[in-house]
Amino acid sequence: MQKLLYGIISFLIFSFSANPVKAAAIEFWITETQSDRVKIIQLLIDTFQALNPGINVKLIPVDENDLPSQIAAAAAAGALPNIIEAGSELIIAFGEEGILDVPLSSEIVRQLGEKRFYKGALKMLSAPEKGRYYGLPYHGWVQGIWYRKDWFEKEGLKPPDTWENILRAARVFHKPENNQYGILIGTKSEVYTEQCFTHLALSNRAREFNENGELVFDSPETLETLKYYRELAGFNPPGPQSWRARDYYIQGRMAMFFYSTYIMDDLALAKEAAESLSGEYFSNLKGGTFDPELVNNTGAVTIIKGTKPAGYGAIVGLCLMKGKSRAEKDAVKRLVEFMYEPFAYITFLHMAPGGMIPVIKDIASMPEYLNDPRHVFKRYGGEKIEEIIEGLESIESFTSVDGRIFPQAGRIYSKMIIPQMIYSVTIEGKSPEEAVKWAEEEMKKVIKD
Amino acid sequence: MQLSLTQKESRLGLKLIAPSIGVIGILILYPILYNIYLSFFNVRLGEENVFVGLGNYERMLRESGFFSSLVTTIIYLAGSIIGTTVLGLAVALMMNIKFPFRNITRTVILLPYFAPVISVVFGWQFFFDPVNGIYNHLMVETFGLAGGRHNPIGEPGSALGIVIIFSIWKNFPISYLLIISKLQAINKDQYEAAAMDECGPIARFFHVTLPELYFVLGTLIILRLIWNLNKFEEVFLLAPNVRTLPVFTYYTAFTGVIDQGYAAAISVAQFVILTALIIFYVKKVLKW
Repeated sequence: MQKLLYGIISFLIFSFSANPVKAAAIEFWITETQSDRVKIIQLLIDTFQALNPGINVKLIPVDENDLPSQIAAAAAAGALPNIIEAGSELIIAFGEEGILDVPLSSEIVRQLGEKRFYKGALKMLSAPEKGRYYGLPYHGWVQGIWYRKDWFEKEGLKPPDTWENILRAARVFHKPENNQYGILIGTKSEVYTEQCFTHLALSNRAREFNENGELVFDSPETLETLKYYRELAGFNPPGPQSWRARDYYIQGRMAMFFYSTYIMDDLALAKEAAESLSGEYFSNLKGGTFDPELVNNTGAVTIIKGTKPAGYGAIVGLCLMKGKSRAEKDAVKRLVEFMYEPFAYITFLHMAPGGMIPVIKDIASMPEYLNDPRHVFKRYGGEKIEEIIEGLESIESFTSVDGRIFPQAGRIYSKMIIPQMIYSVTIEGKSPEEAVKWAEEEMKKVIKD
Repeated sequence: MQLSLTQKESRLGLKLIAPSIGVIGILILYPILYNIYLSFFNVRLGEENVFVGLGNYERMLRESGFFSSLVTTIIYLAGSIIGTTVLGLAVALMMNIKFPFRNITRTVILLPYFAPVISVVFGWQFFFDPVNGIYNHLMVETFGLAGGRHNPIGEPGSALGIVIIFSIWKNFPISYLLIISKLQAINKDQYEAAAMDECGPIARFFHVTLPELYFVLGTLIILRLIWNLNKFEEVFLLAPNVRTLPVFTYYTAFTGVIDQGYAAAISVAQFVILTALIIFYVKKVLKW
């Protein structure tokens, strides 16, 4: 025991002298709020702290819906964190507000090697000046419509990849009298709602900004999308809905739903959990009615074909806050570099295999990455995984259309104007024309501020 | 200079209350005054605030958001105050009658009040879940009372009603507790005297019980008014689409187009309304 203690002490002294670090306390906000993920990230942080004595990292999980308000409150109180893990739209919005340390993140990107990143991912966080980045891309996801392949085949329906196919299937499978619903799209005033809407809007060539950077949200394309969205929402489970209603799909009460690739491990793990609680292990147990074939019976469409084919997804990045002391800056830099070390990076990605897609090319092809501890990748097969990773290259959003970045769209996103517009139309019965006009007015206010 | 004993005592008194005045000043007066100050500005994060005079108040009277939130608040207050008081009174009267297991029942009744808000909110949300909830199962499948499944908490038409019922359920125990302690203190002689004057149970309630309870009920109503006008977490957690004044202030201050000056103006208005109601109530009803 004593030997061990001496060993640890001498190791600490050695690493301290070999690695002089100025003492600093930094705060790291993450949007991964599930307790199992927080535990894993805390483990990474503990490792980092052991390797860098003197640096104290405080990990704070914040719900992504609350992030803009929390940042607003923290900025008002002068208590901003040092690092935030957030979606690219929010990072760009923070960059626009001038609270990010753009030179520092650009410097770290250069040191890690710009070429190692997937181009599309890096593009999503580019600042208007060349070679400048609002933050560092860390992982990403792709959105799709996940659907019951077996139900579709039985009814002779085509996969939900066009507006007509989606609507037809929603109509066929919507049987509220049997407690079964056609589709899930967001109608609550939440981020998820904007994500569903954006996917459809992009496939109808609706935009927030035109090539000259002028606001063009109030357009026939947006209006048409909103009307279509309202029609689809009629096949939702009753009342306002958010992503949490995906449980109804797992229960076999829904034909399709919009979701990111994160559902892959949820489905695979639900299967794992169900298997471990039934059958050979506990033959007497009669639990819920989980369908073990659900993983195999689930299909996915990631490109929706409207007047143009469109993919939607997001890049989640790390952004660094401005105005901190030199010691804190050094600590932040060390932590970010540590997060990109292969072992730390792969541990992080394996929290949600398939959900969190790597943005660094050499990591994506590492055998360590493809061999996740819960064997989710094996369940889906290498080809499917490759297809999804490639899907990340073709995603668009309102902030990035045809490879151009519109930073103002990031601020609009953070104000949740589109979710409010959709709630007012689908739940409160406002007319789509009025709602789009209202949204454009609100967007103008945001740009003017 | 020679101080008289009374003068000395009053000086000592001042010294003794000075710390509390200091604490109250920092924790209560400063935020209120700062809030009033902010309400005259266009507050911008990370930049200088711009003085706009009465601009925020003008906007409040012009835009419909404030008034619809005011109406929601009035309905919420009326429903929850009447509900908690009447239910508290009814349960107190019942618990004043002797019956087996009365002590256990009295304790169990307090449960909703003690339970943490967040856990009971989740319970209620699950109860009313449109697909898996017990409410819909009973209404649609078991008794066939409703034509189809509904989402009573989510749908704007019924959400306020559920929030009121929730508030009554959660808060009636405190009314019950205060009323029953007063009930037990009412002199039995008064009931006997009333009975001799040939008063039935109903007349005894109106001529003896109610007058005796007048001030307890009066106090309960004013406390509930203050508590519920400021109530945020119960409403926001259960049904975030029910915009009572505190919830409306929150949305204005922290979400969408963040407007903390305007939010400050709304909370000042809320403060003024509350103060006016209290003054009116204390003078006219409690007759202090």
